[in-house]
Parts: sequence; C-alpha cells; structure tokens
Amino acid sequence: MVASDRSAIILRARGSLELRCLLDGTDGSHVQKAVSRAFERVRARVTSQALVFRVRDSPMFIWPNKGCQVTEGIAETTACKDLQQRLRSGEPDGGKRSSKKKDKRNGDTSVINIDLLMELTEPGREAGPTLTRREVRHHLAQMALPVDCVVTAGMDDGIGDAFSRLVGALCSQLTDMESAVLRHISGTSLLVPQPFHFHLPEPTGLVTLVYPTGVPDAQLESFRKEMHVRFALPEDRPYLRRANAYHFPGEPFKDGYLRNPHLALSHPALEDAKPFLVQGVYSYHHYMQDRMDDSGWGCAYRSLQTICSWFQQQGYTERVVPSHKEIQQALVDVGDKPSSFVGSRQWIGSIEVQAVLDQLLGITSRILFVSQGSELVNQGRELASHFQREGTPIMIGGGVLAHTILGVLWSETTGDIRFLILDPHYTGGEDLQLVTDKGWCGWKGMDFWDQRAYYNLCLPQRPRAI
Amino acid sequence: MGRGYIVEALVEQYLVNLQTVHASCISGILIGQCSSQRDYVVLAAQTPQKDCGAVRGCSLGDLDADWVTEHGRQVSRMLPGGLSVLGVFLITSPDLSKEAQNTLRKLVYAMEKLISMGRLWNLTEEDVSERVGLHICSKTKKAVCRTFDVRDPKSSARPADWKYQSGVSDSWPVLKCSVDLDLYFPLSETSSENLENSVKIGLQKWAKQMESSVCLINGKHSDSDAELLTGCLCRPPQMSSALGEQRSSAAAEACGGSLTLAGVLQCRAYLHSHKLKARQAIKRDIMNTLSSRTEMFFEDLLINEGDGKMASQQPLPQRVFAPLPGTSLSLCDYMFPDEGAAEVGERFKEMLDFDIPEEQIDMTQEVITGKFLCVRKSPTVYASYS
Repeated sequence: MVASDRSAIILRARGSLELRCLLDGTDGSHVQKAVSRAFERVRARVTSQALVFRVRDSPMFIWPNKGCQVTEGIAETTACKDLQQRLRSGEPDGGKRSSKKKDKRNGDTSVINIDLLMELTEPGREAGPTLTRREVRHHLAQMALPVDCVVTAGMDDGIGDAFSRLVGALCSQLTDMESAVLRHISGTSLLVPQPFHFHLPEPTGLVTLVYPTGVPDAQLESFRKEMHVRFALPEDRPYLRRANAYHFPGEPFKDGYLRNPHLALSHPALEDAKPFLVQGVYSYHHYMQDRMDDSGWGCAYRSLQTICSWFQQQGYTERVVPSHKEIQQALVDVGDKPSSFVGSRQWIGSIEVQAVLDQLLGITSRILFVSQGSELVNQGRELASHFQREGTPIMIGGGVLAHTILGVLWSETTGDIRFLILDPHYTGGEDLQLVTDKGWCGWKGMDFWDQRAYYNLCLPQRPRAI
Repeated sequence: MGRGYIVEALVEQYLVNLQTVHASCISGILIGQCSSQRDYVVLAAQTPQKDCGAVRGCSLGDLDADWVTEHGRQVSRMLPGGLSVLGVFLITSPDLSKEAQNTLRKLVYAMEKLISMGRLWNLTEEDVSERVGLHICSKTKKAVCRTFDVRDPKSSARPADWKYQSGVSDSWPVLKCSVDLDLYFPLSETSSENLENSVKIGLQKWAKQMESSVCLINGKHSDSDAELLTGCLCRPPQMSSALGEQRSSAAAEACGGSLTLAGVLQCRAYLHSHKLKARQAIKRDIMNTLSSRTEMFFEDLLINEGDGKMASQQPLPQRVFAPLPGTSLSLCDYMFPDEGAAEVGERFKEMLDFDIPEEQIDMTQEVITGKFLCVRKSPTVYASYS
C-alpha cells in the first residue's frame, strides 16, 4: 500500500514489551532456545485478548483481539477517515494546526498514533494467587522490546480490519526482532532490536526494518545490500541507514531546528524554466543558534553546518553537526590554520569549508570559481547539473558574505536563472513563517549578488555508497 | 476552622456501650474514609485484650502503645480500598483527660508510621495528612476531637468537629475489579534463601507499574457521573519505569532460582462520592491486598515452618469479604488454606469487635485451586509479564 496516496492513512502502534529469557544453560543452543521461547510468549501476549490499543490524545481504547471491542462510540466498521475526523475535532486547538503548512508538505498523509497496553483485569486464569518456587539455577536475560509498527489503510477501510492488520504487523515485527537478536548474540549478551521505518520510492512505500542497537551502520552493510536488492533500490545511495528513517508528520524534531524550510515556498514564475533543487533533508543553521553569538562572522560556519546536517540526515555520516570550535579545530588538525584559530572569530571561506567536509566527514567537494558576481548568470547549467546529480546544498562565499544555495530555477532556452537561497545571517528563532515571509529562505535574482566581487562555490559530492 | 468528622450513628452506639464498662482506660481505632473537606467514620473498634481474662488497666501508663498500634496495622489489612484507619480513640476518667491528649498524639503518629511501613505506595501531596485523636470522658461523656498532621510531627493539634449522623455509608458506590498477576522474582545466587526480600523488591517494581497504569471505569477513562461498577486496568507493559532508560543490550544474570506468582486478585474500593479519586482508591487496594498477603504469607512461614522454607508451590491466603452490620460496606480478611469460616469469624470478633454469622462470610470471590501442596518437577514456564 502506498503511504503518500491522498486517500491513505497510517496507523502507527508503539509500545514496550517485556522479553524475559530463562536460560537453562549458557551455551549457544540453550540461549537460542530460550530466546525463541521468550519471543513465542510475547507473540502469545500480543495475540491474546488482553491486548489494548489506546488511540493517543483521545479517550478511545480498542481491544483488537476481542472482536474489536471499543469504547466511546466507535465500532468495528467505522471508517478510518471517521476515526481521524473524531481525533481532529478533539484537538485542543480545534485542529488549527492540521491545516495549511503541514498538509501542504505531507500531501494529506496523516497518522493515527496508538499506544500498546495490556489489560490486567482480563484474567487468564481463575484461581487466587499462588506462589511457586523453582530451585533450578538458571540465567535470566530481560529487556524491553521497543515495538513500533505501521500499517497503511485506505480512508474508507473499516478500523476493525486495520487494527487486526496492525496486530499482524506486531507479530511479524516480533519475528523480525527475534531474528535480529539471534543473529547478533555475543555469548549471553542480547542486543536490543530497534525498528526503523523507511519511506521508499513508489510503489514500495513504507517499509520497516529491525536493526540491533549498538551495531553501527557500517557493520550492517551486507544486510542493507540484501534489502536494496529485495526492494529494487539503487546501489549507489543510502536509503536504509538509520539516519534515513522516515520522519512521521506531526512528530517534532528533538533538536528543534527547522527542516527544509524551502518546501513552504512556491516557485517564482519564470518562462520555460525548471526547478533543480536540493534532494533530501537538511536543517537550517543560522546566526545565534545553540547559544552561540556568531553574528557578523559565523555565516560560512553556519552554511557548513547546514551542509553537514544534510550528510547526516541522508545517512552518509553518523557524525553530529560540528560546532564552531570543532570546525576550527579540524582546520588546525589539517594544518590549514594555527592553533590560535580555535576560539577566534575569524571568517572562513569555501576552501576551508571543503577542507572541513573532507576532514570531519570524509566528503569531497568541487570548488567553482566565478571571477565576478555577474558571471553567476552563466552558471545555470553547472548548478542545475549539480542539483540533479548530487543534490547537496552549495556554500557560496564572496564579497564579505556567505550563503547556501538550495537550488536554481533555470531556463535552458532563455538562460534566465533564479537562486533558492538559505541565508545564515538570520538571528531570530525557529519560526518557519517568519523565515519564509522575510526571505531568509527565498528565491533571489541576479541582483542578490555583488556584481563585481569574485565568488567561490563549494559543491559537496555525494559518495557512491549505501 | 478544623476538619469535620461525620460519624455513623452506630459508632456512637458502640462508643457509648464501651463507656459503660466502668473505670477503665479503653483505647481503640477509628475507621473510615478521608476526603479533602471532611472524614467519614464508619467503624470504631477497641483494642483487643492482650491476655484473656485480664482486667483492663486503669491508668494510661498501663496502655501498651505497641499493642494498640499493632492492632491498627492488622485492622488496616482488613480494609478494602477507600477505607483506612483514621485515628485513635481513648476513653478515660476525667482526671486523665489532659494526659490522654499526649497519649493520643503518640499513638496517632506511631500508628501512622507502622501502617505506612509495609505499603507499596506513598501518600501524595494531595492526600489528607490529618489523623484524628478522639478523647471521651467516661464521666461527662464529653467527646473532644483533635487532629494531628502526620506529615509534621512538630505541629500542634487542631480542634475538629465530631458529628453523628445515621446512614453515613448508605449510598456509597463500590468499585470492583479482578487483577491478573503474573510476576516473576529472580532469586540471586548468593541469597536464594531470602525469598521475602526478593519478593519485596519485585513487588516494588510491580507497584510502580500499577501506579502508572490506566484505569477505565465502566469503560471510560475520564470521570463520569455514572454509578461505578467495574474497573478495568490497562498497563503500558514497560519494564523500566523511567522513560529514556533504554539499555542497548541485556546481559544474562545468574540466578539461584526463581519464584513466580500467578493468579487473580479480587479488588474492591468504596467511595463516598463518585467524584472522589476512584482510580487511586482501587489501585491502592490492589497494591495493598498483594502486599498484605505476601507479608502474612512470610510471617506465617516463619512461625510455622521455623526455617522459613517454602514448599514448591503454595497459595497466598485467600481474600474473603464480610458485611459490616448496619452498613452497605464489606470488610475483608485473608484465609489460609487450613482455615475456614470459623477462624475468619473469630478474627472479625477479635479485631473489629463485631459478630458475623459464618454464612455471611463470602468466600466465593477468590478460588484457590486445591488446598494441597503440589511438587512441580518440570520448570514452570509462565508467560512473561508483558
């Protein structure tokens, strides 16, 4: 099923299920048996009548394995869209937030979030409490399984059907988790299996994979290769690294930065022109963030941070976005600057950006030199081609300013060009409305550039890897 | 303006009857329900005689404070949710009236301390922390009622209102539910004999989960005005109570053995108004009934088995209910496998000073499968707690 279909809705169930493995011995086969038995018990709980779905932010509770018994006046045959309607009308702000900006970006895909609960007052037995003692020496390994599964349903599908599919998805996820745990046992230590959702190109849609916590992406490459083949994905770019995980609409980003503010803009009208834009997700880094007052000198650093955030979120690196100090230190480490550079307020340019990308992220970049600003008008093909092939944000420095180019609107026939600019000189808060209204992220014409200054552009290259 | 105590007329009757026993110091406890504005007293019970046939002491010095508070502790086990020991009463001759106030203060604080010791939950900021000390002069029949704030031992007593009314608990709705237990207590290699400790630790974890569980009353999560009938508890099956306490791996720990506790608890709570904290009351009853029973189980093990050794499988004492005469409430007791209605009746008489005909004792709420002890050879595989 296709998640970005306008008539689809995602049901996402999350919870934490306890896994208790009783090992009678510590050798391989005992451990395997104990783990499998423990997962069997968890699957039994999930298919029992004690499983309860609680629809987040609502008073609705559903017993999916009890003939879909529900509370609060909804029935098995209620359509998904009606359920969504009830949730929206129950929103504290009257559903104001679920209009315009969000829907525009997500194409009306909405998510119904569900928490997993177990009913305690559903007695599996009738007898009063009995204490039983087992004298056998054994080993105990317990963990909380972070279950997180999704199903996609049509707007007109009945919720009863959708919920029973969700239970099925829970069971398959438990089986996937069992495989992941068994594959990565070291002695008697079990790694916690963690689910990740990936939004793959149509017609595949949303796919969930389980990765063992603590094993870095690099070590999981062979597994990813298998999955790339299974889902017919290109072999030269990452789709299934942890960083590529799908960000569900409505979920806040933990770090608070704006993501892809350019998506809130509409293209200017330009005859016969096509947009060539950055691909994927980046965070908007700008002056004054992270309690760092770099106003007046940090613009190139911020542009570099935006670029680093792109590589991290596309899964090319697990390294977090570097701070100003870390950037400066990297330049000292490569011998480009003296050690007094660290902690200073000195500017950097595209060459330094290139050096840092290489040093910290292992990324190669091309430098494009333009002898005067007015020449940028001739760079249409070059830039368009970059965005098509690499899709990475570009840092441009010249005159006394640095900016980030997120795309171009270019006409092959007329040569007309517009630049999508992300401006690191913004000093306000993470307010999408303000950023787009005031043009801190916006389309600019040739008059944006200093016509006589020379410019250097740093064009980061995307590694060919999964 | 102090607290108000609305007291069941039958309690007045009881206290008056006690006073006719001349020239003695009588102590006892008061039982009922707290609410933010006032408390409701539904039962008073005198401290049981220590030795049969001994004459009650005439001076406060003869009063055995430990005995009085122990009585309170044992009675608190017999109270379903919503009901608790509200305080202490003393009936003395006029010359002891002043000393009685000091004694009441000591008893109230000591009783609260003892009763809260074994609890799996703590009083919250919103709970009423005032307990009552009632003094009745045996000559003038005058009742002086004061409250003590158990959260502040240095505070002074505040005067309170003591008013009698009939039918206090008449239309109190009752909330019932049955809770499924499936607990696993690993026993460490070194102290696999210390069962009680392992169980205590396990129960504390369980209690945290209980507190965080969602309670639906008559299928609804939000408070409704409907008369309460069935409670239903759903728990987010989290192992660690602190979110973000996500470990990345689970290492196997060696255990010397294990205990599993499985079965169904019958739980009940009474509330003077549906607006009261029904969910808190029933949750507390659930925690209390389990902690009381396990306490009693291990106490019994120590007395009877001497070495505290447990057989392979033993049921916890069974919960039985008995109606409180003149009210719509039921109190409870716990029956060991080798006991019957007669023993329960004796306990009600001794602890709560009222007679209950054997046939009125309801032993059908919980069922123990077989009163024999069975030995299990194969490892017991219980479904995990989630």
